[in-house]
Amino acid sequence: MPEPVLAAVVPEVIRDNLPFLAAGFAMTLRLAAVGIVGGSLVGLLLGLLRHAEIPVLSRLAALYIEIVRGTPLLVVLFVCYFAIPALAGYRTTAVAAASLGFVLFIAAYLAEDVRSGLRSVPSGLVRAGLATGLTRWQAFRLIVLPQALRRIIPPVFSQYVRLLKFTSVASVIGVRELTGSALLVNAREFQPVAIIATAAVTYLVVCSGLSLVGRLLDARLSIRT
Amino acid sequence: MSGSPLIVLDRVCKQYGTTPVLRDCSLAVARGEIVVVCGPSGSGKSTLIKTVNGLEPYQSGSVRFDGEEVGARGTDLPRLRARIGMVFQSFELYPHMTALRNVMLAQVHALGRSRAEARERALALLARVGLTERAEAYPADLSGGQQQRVAIARALALDPVAMLFDEPTSALDPEMINEVLDVMTALARDGMTMVVVTHEMGFARKVADRVVFMDEGRIVEDRPAAEFFAAPATERAKTFLSKIIAH
Amino acid sequence: MSYQFDWSQVWQHRDLILDGLLVTIALSVAALVPTLIVGMLIGTLGASTSRAGRVAAGLYVETMRNVPLLIHMYVWYMALAFLRLPAFLCAVLGLTLYSSAYVAELVRAGIAAVPRGQARAAAASGLRPWQVQVLVVYPQALRIVAPSLASLASQLVKDSSLASVIAVAELSYQAGAIEGQTFRTFEVYITIAVLYIALVLLISFAIDHVPGLRARRPIARIADA
Ligand SMILES: Nc1ncnc2c1ncn2[C@@H]1O[C@H](COP(=O)(O)OP(=O)(O)OP(=O)(O)O)[C@@H](O)[C@H]1O
Ligand SMILES: [Mg+2]
Repeated sequence: MPEPVLAAVVPEVIRDNLPFLAAGFAMTLRLAAVGIVGGSLVGLLLGLLRHAEIPVLSRLAALYIEIVRGTPLLVVLFVCYFAIPALAGYRTTAVAAASLGFVLFIAAYLAEDVRSGLRSVPSGLVRAGLATGLTRWQAFRLIVLPQALRRIIPPVFSQYVRLLKFTSVASVIGVRELTGSALLVNAREFQPVAIIATAAVTYLVVCSGLSLVGRLLDARLSIRT
Repeated sequence: MSGSPLIVLDRVCKQYGTTPVLRDCSLAVARGEIVVVCGPSGSGKSTLIKTVNGLEPYQSGSVRFDGEEVGARGTDLPRLRARIGMVFQSFELYPHMTALRNVMLAQVHALGRSRAEARERALALLARVGLTERAEAYPADLSGGQQQRVAIARALALDPVAMLFDEPTSALDPEMINEVLDVMTALARDGMTMVVVTHEMGFARKVADRVVFMDEGRIVEDRPAAEFFAAPATERAKTFLSKIIAH
Repeated sequence: MSYQFDWSQVWQHRDLILDGLLVTIALSVAALVPTLIVGMLIGTLGASTSRAGRVAAGLYVETMRNVPLLIHMYVWYMALAFLRLPAFLCAVLGLTLYSSAYVAELVRAGIAAVPRGQARAAAASGLRPWQVQVLVVYPQALRIVAPSLASLASQLVKDSSLASVIAVAELSYQAGAIEGQTFRTFEVYITIAVLYIALVLLISFAIDHVPGLRARRPIARIADA
């Protein structure tokens, strides 16, 4: 953007603190990326365990999912930052604790999506695969899993967007992501209207962008039946 | 070996809980033979043919395919199933793959063919069932008759020595039934061994060597097609036939 | 692990925990009522035949739910501090604007899922438009979305934990206070996690026992957001 336009749209307090706020924004993206990648892997694993109905493991996965889904994210972060390190006797950083918390938190929700996706694939298709000589594992890998993953793109992306928003909660345990940095800038400059509005608009743009990506991906990959 | 029947069922029994579904079913199908299985709904026809490729376990009796006991512990079921093609009432095409990839999948993963080889074979089979132009279409964009022809191509792609059909035309609109029956008739003329569950008596009359009539889990009649249609031996088959032909 | 458990300190502060629990419940109820009303109105607008109405409803939904709840709270508590609203009210406003977007989307989808023929048949039988809506469309739509609405309600209870950052003395806030005094980190956070889980279970238990709500499956997991 040319200089005069920038000056007209972006409040002075933001321009003055841009590097600091930009670093916060970068941390927000980093936390979201770690949460999305790690949470998807753990969520997939938990969802597979739930689906497979392995005697003890599936029950444990179900228990984990129920507990996390019943707990507010804030409390999950407190547990990861204060409670677990106190119990296990190790030191951690706010960023590491928040990353762990996001992964553990969002995985529980993604696991349920994975499971309902796996359940939505008709069993007749597996039978057809077996009839052509595929093994059970091949039928699962080639027929069930790809369909399940493509079917759950919309709910999975709404979880991703939710996680992106929820990274703001990391500010409570002292992480300097976008919200945390905004609060710090405000403490110094005391211009809450401009600062909070800027943070809000930034989240709005990034979250809308991510949900647009989800919609485009779904339009490309969804399975018509 | 080629003198003995390809498929032999010997006093096969199966029950769900305490409900018997198959009772002492015995049947032999020779190489190149076309056997049509018919009977009222719930009589066990689907269950019977699914025992042949091990999709349906049974409690007693024996099922042999090409000399191999299907229900035996050591049987390599995937290998056995790859030698038997099966076509389902509701097509069961993989909706996330094009017609071509549907026909390629098991060739690559069950038989270990190269992709190029599988593709070539798939295209040849799609041509044989008259669907060359639809190779890149997804199942959702194909009519029922076209989907069922793709499903037949998918089964044939493994070069099976026998084919099982479970009511392949009963989910189809009337005008599409013939396009599927024509493919099946051509297959029969080429000498394929076929067991076909169907209520298409015109097809049975024209193509079948034998007709098997089932009722309440029993094989009630098993006779040459001409004889069966001339005069069914049992009262049950007679009523059944008259009901089917009446409409 | 050399951590020495000591639950007695948590027990000693049970009055604070109970206070916090009551505030959490009060806040949840205070926010849930306007959330449902606003959500119903916006959702109805989103399902209306008026194009402008649908666009306006869509804008409301996208804007409100793509901004983190924490930012919603700071907007009322900090950016609009000159209004001098009590913190509790700020939390109610933040929760309402944020959650009503989800309710609206759910209601819109529910109305869309009622077969069109239903409204036509009702109109043909001489009912006025508002009667068609209230007597025929809403009851069916609400039954379709009831399970998702229920999980939105538990979501709101968990989300209310974020009011602690604007100094509303609800459960999470009290946990922080007790932890600060006793340093019984693990015991305190596990205790409040259990209380949240109990609240969420209580809600789903209650919903399961209201006749007519349980029968249908949710049309989508919109509620998990
Ligand atoms: N999973 C199952 N559990 C219990 N009973 C079953 C199950 N599957 C099939 N049956 C019963 O087994 C009997 C035979 O079923 P089968 O599908 O083989 O009949 P069919 O002759 O193919 O009937 P149709 O013409 O309707 O396809 C039926 O009475 C059916 O209700
Ligand atoms: Mg059947």
